Order: sequence, then C-alpha cells, then structure tokens
Amino acid sequence: MRLEPNQFWTYWEWAFDQRGFLYGGILALILAVLGFLVGYIVATIKHGPAEGFLVVAKIIGQLFTADLPKMSPRRIFAMAKLSFKEALRSRVLVVVAVFVVAIMFAGWFIDPKSDNPAQLYIPTVLFLTNMLVLLMGLFLSTFSIPRDISSKIIYTMVTKPVRPTEIFLGRVFGMIAVGTLTVSIFGLLSYVFITRGLQHTHEIEVMPTDTVAGQTTTYRLHSHTFTLDEQGEGVTDVVKGHRHIVKKVGDKLVVSSQIGDLEARNPIYGKLRFTGRDGEDSEGINVGSISEYLKYVEGDTLSSAIFTFTNVPKDLFENSVTFDMTLDAFRTYKGDIVTPVGGIYFFRSLDGAVETERFGFKVKEGVIDQKTIALDLKSVDGKDINFFTDIAPEGSFELVIRCTDRGQYLGMAQADLYLRAKEKSFEWNFTKGFISIWLQMCIVICFGVMFSTFLSGPVAIVATLSVIVLGMFGWFLDDLTSGELPGGGPVEALIRLPLQSGSVSELDLGSPVVENTIRAIDKGILFSVGLLKNALPNLYDLGTTEFVTYGVNLFEGLLARHLTIAFGYFVMTSIISYFFLKTREMAG
Amino acid sequence: MSTQTPTPAPAAVSTDVIVETRNLGKIYRDFWGRKKVQALKSLDIEIRRGEIFGLLGPNGSGKSTTIKLMLGLLFPTSGRAFVFGKEATDVAKNERIGYLPEESYLYKFLNAEETLDFYGRLFDMPASVRRERAAELIQRVGLQRHRRRQLREYSKGMTRRIGLAQALINEPEFLVLDEPTTGLDPIGTKEMKDLILKLRDEGKTILLCSHQLADVQDVCDRVAILHQGELKEAGRVDALLKVQDVTQIHAKGLSEEAKSKIREIIQQSNSELLKMDNPTTTMEELFLDIVQQSEQRPGARSVGASN
Ligand SMILES: Nc1ncnc2c1ncn2[C@@H]1O[C@H](COP(=O)(O)OP(=O)(O)OP(=O)(O)O)[C@@H](O)[C@H]1O
Ligand SMILES: [Mg+2]
Repeated sequence: MRLEPNQFWTYWEWAFDQRGFLYGGILALILAVLGFLVGYIVATIKHGPAEGFLVVAKIIGQLFTADLPKMSPRRIFAMAKLSFKEALRSRVLVVVAVFVVAIMFAGWFIDPKSDNPAQLYIPTVLFLTNMLVLLMGLFLSTFSIPRDISSKIIYTMVTKPVRPTEIFLGRVFGMIAVGTLTVSIFGLLSYVFITRGLQHTHEIEVMPTDTVAGQTTTYRLHSHTFTLDEQGEGVTDVVKGHRHIVKKVGDKLVVSSQIGDLEARNPIYGKLRFTGRDGEDSEGINVGSISEYLKYVEGDTLSSAIFTFTNVPKDLFENSVTFDMTLDAFRTYKGDIVTPVGGIYFFRSLDGAVETERFGFKVKEGVIDQKTIALDLKSVDGKDINFFTDIAPEGSFELVIRCTDRGQYLGMAQADLYLRAKEKSFEWNFTKGFISIWLQMCIVICFGVMFSTFLSGPVAIVATLSVIVLGMFGWFLDDLTSGELPGGGPVEALIRLPLQSGSVSELDLGSPVVENTIRAIDKGILFSVGLLKNALPNLYDLGTTEFVTYGVNLFEGLLARHLTIAFGYFVMTSIISYFFLKTREMAG
Repeated sequence: MSTQTPTPAPAAVSTDVIVETRNLGKIYRDFWGRKKVQALKSLDIEIRRGEIFGLLGPNGSGKSTTIKLMLGLLFPTSGRAFVFGKEATDVAKNERIGYLPEESYLYKFLNAEETLDFYGRLFDMPASVRRERAAELIQRVGLQRHRRRQLREYSKGMTRRIGLAQALINEPEFLVLDEPTTGLDPIGTKEMKDLILKLRDEGKTILLCSHQLADVQDVCDRVAILHQGELKEAGRVDALLKVQDVTQIHAKGLSEEAKSKIREIIQQSNSELLKMDNPTTTMEELFLDIVQQSEQRPGARSVGASN
C-alpha cells in the first residue's frame, strides 16, 4: 500500500493550506447561483419574468424565515422513527442473512496458500459490507417518498404542519439509523469472522536445543521456527503475517494463538526533499518511473533524500525509534543482480549541528524494511548522544538517506518512509474502516432521498446508481476534465470525426478565430463537467479499505476530512430537496 | 330516514370567514404541460366560522379538487384560495386544520395507536398529550378493540374511523371531510352524522363533500353544488329546499277517509293537488334538477345569495 501525499495531510492542512474549505465554498457558491438560475428560468416559464422572480424570492425567503427556524426536532424524530419502522417491518434486515451467506461463501474461496490471510479476510468483508450497505441505502432511500406520493399517504402528511425540510431530514435520519444498525451488525459479524478465521495455534514438532532451533507442527500450510531464552520464553518467526509466543509451562512447551496479524501501525510521516550530487537543493532525479511521485538519489554522491519530521511526540517511543521504509532501486548497470543496492541513513538535528553515526543497509526492493535504532546512540564523531536530547529536542529532526553504489539510484516518495509510533488498536482501526463505509452510505442515502423528491422510484434508483458508479470510477472524469486529452474536447472531437482528422495533428479549419472559439467552448464544457464532478461524491477517494487491510492506522484527520465532505453533501442535498419538495404539487 | 331539518346555525355564528376562494380555477396538465382537463372554473365561495358547509356534485365535478386546492395539496392555475386569511399553501395554517381524505391514506404497517402517535408528533404534541388524545379518539370512533392491530388488517369502515381520528388529533378549528360516510354501515353513518353535528356545536367549522345527499341534507347548514367544475347553486339548505308555492303534506297513520277529506279541502280552495305520497329526499330532487338543467344549458349559473 502506498499512501498518496494528500492522504496524510492533517485536517487543518487540508482545510486551509490545501484550501479544502475555500474550494468547498466556491463550489457551494457556484451551485447556489446555478440553482437560482435554473429555478428562476422554470418560474419564468410558469409565471413570467417579474412574477417568477417574486416566486423564487419568496421560496428562498421562506426557507430562512419559516422552514428552517420553525423546524421541530419532534417532527423530524417522528418522521425518522417512521422510516426506521417502515424499513424494519419491510424486513430490510434480510440483508444481514445475505451478508452471512456471502461471507461464508467467501470463507471457502479464501486461498489458504496466501502469504497473509489477514490481508485477504479484511478486504473481503469490507468489500461485501460496502456493496451490500450501499445497495441497501440505494433501495431504502429512493423508494420511500415516491411510495408516499403514489399511495397518497403524503396527503395526510403535508396537511399537517410538516415542513419540507423536516420531510427530508426525517427520511434521511431514519434511513441512516437503519443503515447504522446494519453496518454495526456487519461490523460485529465481520470481526468475529476474521478473528475466528485467523485463530489457530501449533504443536511442537522439534524441541529446541542449544544448537537446533525449535519448530512447530505444520498447520494451515505453514510452520514456525523459534528459539527460547533463559526464562524459557520465545517468539517464533513471522510466517503468513503472524507470530506465536512459545512458553515453557512445567516441562512442556505451549504455543500461543497467533499475534501480529491484525495490527494498526501508527505511521508518522515527514516531509521529503532532495539534494543533488553536491548537496545543493534539487527536485530529486526522475528516472521515468511509473509512479509520478517516485524520485531518485544518485549513488556515491552527496545526493540525498531528506525526510524532515516535526514535533514528533516523545512519548510515542519507548527505548528506540523504529521506522519502515520501502525503497526502489534503479540500476544503470546490471552488475551482480544478486547483490542488492546499498545505502546509508543517519539522523540529523534540524540546524544540522548534530549528526548520528551512519547506518548501512541493503535495499529490499518493494518490501517493507523495518529499522530500529536505540535512543542512546553515537554521533558521527563518536560521542555518546541521546536521540531526543541531542538530535530532536523539540521532536523535530531530519532523516537522511543516500545511495552508496556508484551508478545506481535509490528511489522513494514521501509515503515510503515513516516512523512507527506505538501501535494503535486494530479494533478501533477496523471500526474506522466501517465508519468510512457508513459515511459513503450516508452520502448515498442523501442523494437517493434527494432524487426521490422529484423523480419516481425507479428513475431515482437509476440516478442514484449513476452517482455511485461515477463516484467509484471518478478517476475517469479526472482524466477527461484535466483537458489533456489528445484530440481536444468534445466539440473539437465532433468536428474531427467527419473530417477524419487524426487526434494527434493540430485542428486545422483554416481560421484561427473559429479554432480558438471551439477550444474556448471545449474548455467551458470541460470546466462545467469538472464542476459537476465535484458536485458528485468521489466514493473512491472516500474508501479506506487499504488502511485496515494493510494494518495502517487510519488517520483521524483523514476521517474528519471525509466527515466534513459527507456533511457538505448532506447540506447540498438538503437544500436541493427543499426546493423540490416546496414547489412540488403533492396531489398533482 | 330522518328528515330532521337542520337547526339554524347557532346565533353565535359570526361573520368570520374561514375559507375564501377567489376566482379559483384548476387545469390539470400532463408532463409536457398540455391541458388534460379543466377540473375547476373560477370558483367563489366563502365558508364561515361555525357552519357545516357541504360541497355537492356528481362524480368528477371537482369537489376533491376544490378541497385539495384549499389544503395546498394542489396549486391553483388561476385565482387564489385563502384559509384563515392565509394563502392555502402556507404550512402554518395546518396547525388548525383536520383533513379526512377521500380514502384513508395511512401507513398500513402501523396500528391505530402508533398512527395517532405519529400524527400527534407531527403537531409537536408532547408525549402525555398524545397518549391522552389518542385514547380519547380511539374511544370516540369506536376502535378500542382494534387499537393494537395493524391498519392493513382493517375493514373499510374501520379504516374510515381511524382516518377520522387522525383528522381530529389536533382538535382542529376547521375540519375538511372528503366523503366521510362512504364505507360506513348505517349505524356508522348515523354516528358520523351525529359526530359532525356535535363538532359543529363545539364551535368547529366543517367542510364536507358527499354523494349521500340525505346525509348532506341532514347535517349541512349551507351547500354549494358543482357540476363539471362550475358552481351551479349555493346557499342555505333550508332556503334552497323550500319551494315557495308548493306545500307538501306529510302525515302518519291517515285513514283513506281522512285522505279523501284532505283532497276535498284542496279542491274546495281552488287549488290543484300535485301529489301526496311518501316524500322523496328533496335534496336529491334539487340535485338532479340542477344537473339536468346544467347539462342542457352549460355555463355558470348566477348563484342566488340566499343566506
Ligand atoms: N391528478 C389528476 N390529473 C388529471 N386529472 C385529474 C386529476 N385529479 C382529478 N382529475 C380530473 O379532475 C376532474 C375533477 O376531479 P375530482 O376528483 O375533483 O372530482 P370529484 O368531484 O371529487 O369526484 P368524485 O365524486 O368521484 O370523488 C375529473 O375530471 C378528474 O378526472
Ligand atoms: Mg372526490
């Protein structure tokens, strides 16, 4: 799993430095203006321009003078409770049975030869939960209001002092309650499924002696080796992502259940910069690697990759500093392919005054390489120093990496090296994974209810499904709207079609004015599509399955960001629904 | 069948206007905005505080449409409707209104108690008040034995009753009843009529529409008769039904001898005997008469403001 740089922004970094709030605000403003225009056009068709304006103004006015301030929690609760009961009495919880059957099936198909069963179990349950919960949200949300309207139950509802805002909120909250119940049940079942599925132990096959390491029996296609210390305790090697503790009880050896397969590493990321061959600032070397983030340092020069860590809390580390790195090697000559490329790393205080001794390493390409150094260590000139007193008094320091083999290169991105602070709880991480799914479900429900305020049930389903599909494969639109397509935008492409002009050559219509106009129109279209794309949720980005699967603590900042985004969609869909419910003729 | 003439509305009737429609009209359009049917044409009526107002007319004459316009369920295509002096689409008016739709549109998966509790909450009533009102209304509409059963199991009459209870949950000042007696047995019908009169005596204003002309005649103070979306007749029931130069004689237990004596007296006084038989429902006659005339001469009839 490689984190994208944006994933470890803190909440405030995202909100202000990266202008998350600003862009959200601009998008909201543009949508509001667009919404107003559309509303005004519709009203003008119905009532004429002057009267139409009054009608729109009145509806907006009533939102702020009556429909928002006069909302009653009791009414919203009544509607929510009703939705909840309606869903339960129409037996939505059958979905739980579907889930159980699905994970049982999945259990059979999980490959027992896998190197890390936990990394199969976890994404399986998360994927199943995600799909089922979104589907449930889709069907729940899109049918209730259309059903109320077609069965005319809405007559008895809207002739009570119920406001459009309350209908939307009540429906949404009720369904979210159903969804919350379902997600919780799924979460518990998943947890039981995973822990039961991974749970195992071994017997002793070979007793350890002074010269021979002990070995466990083979169970589930693997066995472990281990040695014992003087107290008669030991830890096995890591196989299939886990270890066991072996302990002498009386004169027998007891092997514990597996540990370490369900973890939540707590990475602390630094900022990465590079220096060139003579130590000057540089961008790092691009060797044409697939990942646009990967940058390289040149071997046997001063060219360095420098990770700067700031304000790392001391109490997250006990006796040592541990970090994980996953480096890439780029060879300009083959040499001896068996010998890995070598490098060194050392720590340095921010002002550069104190440096630790150099630690050499051999690159393990594409594998997480864990390094641990004791807090008491030697400086580069051989003095005894302490990590937190001398190198990082404020918790801020640099970690420098260089490549030692001439003509070879070491490549890395910011996410490829992180400090490992004290482990977080897997259970909490797992819960956060489910909270992510829950958030996606909330967004789907908001959109479903919104569409159902002006579309019939089946059409609302199709519309909501489109939002989900676009949301999951939003990267397609990303490419489309970045404007970097060969052959230009939609209009240009349309013109090229009859001309049978290849998409590589410049468009040539003989008139630069016409060509520029076409390009301008295309830009406008692509910009609008880009906007529309942002008005739709990017469910793909909201997915956090990888964090849980690969045992990385899901940053609270990221979750908070997702929460904020979901809340944004909630507000947007509420307002749109308000206008549709307000202007809809319920008996029409 | 009881032919009790409605007691003149209590003296306490003020000239307060609860509902006023001005030139109210409704054209139903299809999705493309094409005109489908003109359901209501420039209706002007007033409903005053404390009266029972009946809306009559054949099927499809626009009664339900009128009611929906007054409740803001439909938006007028011309004219305006005011309820309690406010635009009919104003949500706030609903605080003081109770509505029983043509059919009881209620959640079938709720039972009677849950239904009333739900609607009570919509009026923002605290739990204790809701419980009290629900118990009282279930008693009042006679559903005590069925209060824990889901509405999907209810018979037509029982559904009607819970519908009425739902309409009364907020002790409305103005009650709108769309065909309140359909689906009720004779006893239920009688109870419904008594209840309507009782509610009127409690000071509530009631608008009802019905096909059961006898019912309307029994309870309504004033009626308006619609035909093909047009107002044909409006006024006090007693005034509308009184045909000035016709005398009807109703008697019980007359002997043949007595009857011939009466005929003699009529002949002697140079009058002509029209008929003497068991009286038909006079409202029905009026109604049929108006519909017939209207079919011959379409167009709005100038409505005598018989008050
Ligand atoms: N939603 C609708 N769309 C189109 N036309 C409608 C709609 N509702 C009613 N109409 C038409 O409007 C006219 C008046 O209907 P309305 O329901 O008001 O009659 P009504 O007097 O209540 O009849 P009934 O006694 O049968 O209940 C009818 O011609 C009907 O077909
Ligand atoms: Mg009707």
